[in-house]
Amino acid sequence: MTTSAGSVEPMHAEQAMEFPYKHSTGETIGRFLAGLKEQKTIWGQRVAGQGVVVPPVGYSEIDASAAQDWVAVQDTGTVTAAAVVHRPLERLHPFAEPFAYVLVKLDGADTGFAHVVKDGLDKLKVGTRVRAVWAADEERKGHVRDIVCFRIID
Amino acid sequence: MHEPPKEPVKYVEANLYLPYRYVAGDYRARFFAAMKQKKFLGSKCSKTGKVFVSPLVNSPESFAPATEFVALEGRGVVTTFCIVNIPVIGRDLQLPYVAASVALDGADISIFGAIQECAPEAVHMGMRVEAVWKPDGERTGSFDDVLYFKPTGEPDAPPAAYINRL
Repeated sequence: MTTSAGSVEPMHAEQAMEFPYKHSTGETIGRFLAGLKEQKTIWGQRVAGQGVVVPPVGYSEIDASAAQDWVAVQDTGTVTAAAVVHRPLERLHPFAEPFAYVLVKLDGADTGFAHVVKDGLDKLKVGTRVRAVWAADEERKGHVRDIVCFRIID
Repeated sequence: MHEPPKEPVKYVEANLYLPYRYVAGDYRARFFAAMKQKKFLGSKCSKTGKVFVSPLVNSPESFAPATEFVALEGRGVVTTFCIVNIPVIGRDLQLPYVAASVALDGADISIFGAIQECAPEAVHMGMRVEAVWKPDGERTGSFDDVLYFKPTGEPDAPPAAYINRL
């Protein structure tokens, strides 16, 4: 059988890949997360060559030396990068409405903390000041989403 | 407060969910439609005459368009294979099974196929096989319409017949 090219009705299939991960957090991130849950506090670590790193990893990425001391940083900060998700996908993204992934340099920290901004996307840019919105006491479970999102400070 | 709680959180759950809408496109849609008729649809390179299954719009070798379709029967030769002893999520074949590359008669490249109805140890390069299809009325126009390939019992093909069709 030989046929010539033309066009046929397009075919499509809805598919989903799902990866149910359970990450072991380790001591350093584990204590950082416990701080979110129990103390409503964002902790960083002072590290050789890097200043205050948030979230902390326990060592210096410059010379591999162990982190020095824990430092509580503010839950306010400055946006250093932003990417707006205009069409969120169900179950993949944290919100059904448009939102932005941001890096926030928290006051007292020297690195960017990756999180989300939900409201006022038209005002969002590098340099925008934001503040963490915390989940209620009974809802915090030791997860980065114990901070629901960051909100622009007017 | 000089440090975070001594007792760390032990783990976090992160469910990664990736929804896709796969669109077959013109050639792949034709390929699936042909499976309903128990045919493997290929396309022929207008320059070299090589036949690609599933059909390609252009030859990856000559870049020439492959506008002519060729419908192949489900008979061919095992070009290479492996015996699978480790279960794969989403595939419910009984272990061990054989995953093979099958060069269909008339095709210049191989397709994937499971080899059944023989012992895994009996599968070898050059073995002649044929497709076993889902019964009439149950085929939906999907790669799953081919259940597996089984040996035909014909004499083996010589290496020269398939060495360039892996």
